Amino acid sequence: MSKPRVAIFDFACCEGCQLQVVNLEEELLDVLSVVTPVEWREAMSEQSEEYDIAIIEGSITRPEDEERVKKIRERAKILIALGACATTGGVNKLKNNFGMDEVRTIVYGKDAAMPHLNTMPTKSVAEVVKVDYMVHGCPINNKEFTYIVRCLVMGKQPVIPNYPVCVECKMRGNVCRYEYGEICLGPVTRAGCNAPCPSAGFWCFGCRGYVDDPNVQAAREVMDKYGKTVEDLKSRLLLFGSKQEHTDE
Amino acid sequence: MSIKKLEPAALNRWVDGILQKQKVYGIQARGDKFVFDQLDRADQLRLDYDVSVTAPKAFLQPPCETLLRFGEKGFESVVESEPFVLFGVHPYDMAAILQMDVVFAEGNPDIHYLERRKNATIVVCDVQNASENVFAGCMGTAVLESGGDVLVTRVGSAYVVESRSARGEALMETIATAPVAGARDLGERKAVWEKNRKLLRRHELKVKPEQLPALLEKSYDHPVWEEKAKRCFSCGSCNLVCPTCYCFNVRDTVSYNLKDGERERVWDGCMLAEFALVAGGHNFRKKKAERYRHRYYRKGKYLHDMHKQIACVGCGRCITACVTKIANPVEIYNRLAEGQK
Amino acid sequence: MISSNTAQPMKDIYLPEPADVLKASPMTALEMFFEFRLASGRELGHMPGQFVEVSIPGIGEAPISISSSPTQKGSFQMVVRKVGNVSGAMHALSAGRQVGIRGPFGTHFPVDGEMKGKDILFICGGIGLVPVRSAINYVLDHRDDYGHVTILFGTKTPADRLFTDEMQRWASAKDVTFMETVDRGDDAWKGNVGVITTLIPKVRLDPARTVAVVCGPPIMYKFVILELDKVGLKADRMYVSLERHMKCGVGKCGHCQVNGLYACQDGAVFKYSDIASVREAI
Repeated sequence: MSKPRVAIFDFACCEGCQLQVVNLEEELLDVLSVVTPVEWREAMSEQSEEYDIAIIEGSITRPEDEERVKKIRERAKILIALGACATTGGVNKLKNNFGMDEVRTIVYGKDAAMPHLNTMPTKSVAEVVKVDYMVHGCPINNKEFTYIVRCLVMGKQPVIPNYPVCVECKMRGNVCRYEYGEICLGPVTRAGCNAPCPSAGFWCFGCRGYVDDPNVQAAREVMDKYGKTVEDLKSRLLLFGSKQEHTDE
Repeated sequence: MSIKKLEPAALNRWVDGILQKQKVYGIQARGDKFVFDQLDRADQLRLDYDVSVTAPKAFLQPPCETLLRFGEKGFESVVESEPFVLFGVHPYDMAAILQMDVVFAEGNPDIHYLERRKNATIVVCDVQNASENVFAGCMGTAVLESGGDVLVTRVGSAYVVESRSARGEALMETIATAPVAGARDLGERKAVWEKNRKLLRRHELKVKPEQLPALLEKSYDHPVWEEKAKRCFSCGSCNLVCPTCYCFNVRDTVSYNLKDGERERVWDGCMLAEFALVAGGHNFRKKKAERYRHRYYRKGKYLHDMHKQIACVGCGRCITACVTKIANPVEIYNRLAEGQK
Repeated sequence: MISSNTAQPMKDIYLPEPADVLKASPMTALEMFFEFRLASGRELGHMPGQFVEVSIPGIGEAPISISSSPTQKGSFQMVVRKVGNVSGAMHALSAGRQVGIRGPFGTHFPVDGEMKGKDILFICGGIGLVPVRSAINYVLDHRDDYGHVTILFGTKTPADRLFTDEMQRWASAKDVTFMETVDRGDDAWKGNVGVITTLIPKVRLDPARTVAVVCGPPIMYKFVILELDKVGLKADRMYVSLERHMKCGVGKCGHCQVNGLYACQDGAVFKYSDIASVREAI
């Protein structure tokens, strides 16, 4: 693919993942040497209906967004989900633990019934359209993002780890958070971020979603060894794993 | 070969002298744990440490290293290494390095490892404080009769410092005039060794290490593999903290011109789900229990079949690192032995 | 272990040498045929059944079997199925381009040893024919060194058949029995239909003077070996080639281990009797 045209679209999200792309600073110029942006609301004013790669940030939370993302899919040769909101639904799926009327009332109070505030249970992009590649994380690791971009331009399938964050923690020489009696989601969470949270002394929040075959049950079974309960674990899992397979089983 | 006695202040002066000339990675405190890291001053050294978070193998086979560069001119080897001192390696970790030396030198010698190894001067130090899970005493690696370039042993309030190679002798040049360790010091050192052989046994292996290959030979279908693997995250922690694990993956990274780049070698582990996956999609060790069993067999049998050494030195890091506490080799081997009675 | 810095620099076992693509042409929907020559002009020096690591800079490296016989000088050939990044990138190659090559690696079919003077039974499933073709052509090029040759080849569908031109030559060669089958035929297919094991009872072989060479997908071995056992062939007369993740090719990386064996060094060609009790092998 020679210099593909790229369009970036945002849906329900904080736009922090796009910001991570902007945060590449000088390296962004390098990225622009291999792709041509044709639509990117956060960084440019132009719009385009023609693009090779569509990058979708955010979750799908309204019926009209569902239509919009389907139209984008039709036009794009390659569709990339950018960030946890898009790849798994992320924190937006916390909403799905409640009824939609309740959610509207909590957020909008007396205006909850206004028609333009209509909302539906959060969907990841892949729950609406076919997603070709996922850039995981909240926010994304922008180095991984540029790696994926270069792979696509070269026609190479990017290799996204299917092993837990523990691998990267060990490579960085981190002490396991469990040694300090903390619940860390690293053992069930897909690596690729280079373990920034445990490296900074936090537990892993699980923002990149589960590995393909996460052993959440094993985590449940050992909570008592760390003076924790299965409920404690669940409350951690809910942040990025609400209404997802493995969280509730 | 020199054998000196140094008071702590003299030891520090010696180390500070080395620091003026060479890069030293020494054992030091980080938080409430200990790590090997670049040493700036001798008084950072913590020779009383229990165990380092990461095994010192990381200085010989780094978690990620460049093997090759490629570009317009094709591929070229990258062998970048400068002389350095690794200060404070415990005997069990030295035993592991000696095993890695064999693995990387035999058959098809690996210059990336060997060059780094050639540049390394290793100061071994006898254990002063046993870590939570160490069982080196059961594996015959609590004390090392040979190996490494210098051996430092705390005896009473002083240190006995012995050179074990020409390179070690050179490192000790600046303490050539220090007092020679006397018979009493050496006696005390021997007592330290005896003590360590007994004390570094936080877990008691009920079989002799040399019996492990035969024990494993008979245990392929033992229920323990399935049973323990149920709680396995396939996170590879036990592999990555292991001083004798050296398996690796290789990957290419490329710059924005899409032509120039590097081929890197990164740590890998046989416990990871896709370790034995081939390009067509077939995974030759698909089940957790298969991978779990493989690790014990590799440590206790397969590598022994090749090199006549058990690839476990009893450092206990895997026991600590495993969140679900299924990675204790002593527990597993004892369990297998039980069935034999 | 510790040697001086002035010592002769050792060879880097991970450094590929350049090879020119002489030919790259599609063979089936998934497989492509390649012919290479080392840029140095050196012969590759392989034996049938060995493999090389093929490098595409920036994409990576993959183990690929050599398909040509060492009797064919000046170049070597491969057939590559598009299954991953490296094979995918290889499919974009054309004549005149370069790749990196390391090897040859591994053991080989004993064309220079146990197979000599024997009747040879080649059993190949799908792209299992690729490495075996090297041995078939080697044997046919040294025809007098071997007895009767039987070639059994099975694919999923007629569209998956490889080296169809060459098959004609094999089928008509002196003292060669050639049989094919497909799992599922189509309207044009007039030949055998059924899995490859269905061909074995049709072969007349003298177990006492036969050596079998078996190569195919992992699932095939168990059933073929069972059939060969039925017709009285001993395990030490069967040779199999095992596929594994041979990342480094030089016995270091650990990926290709089959219990205690390294497929890249102890294999990929194994005498079946040597691995019959190796649990992870078949």
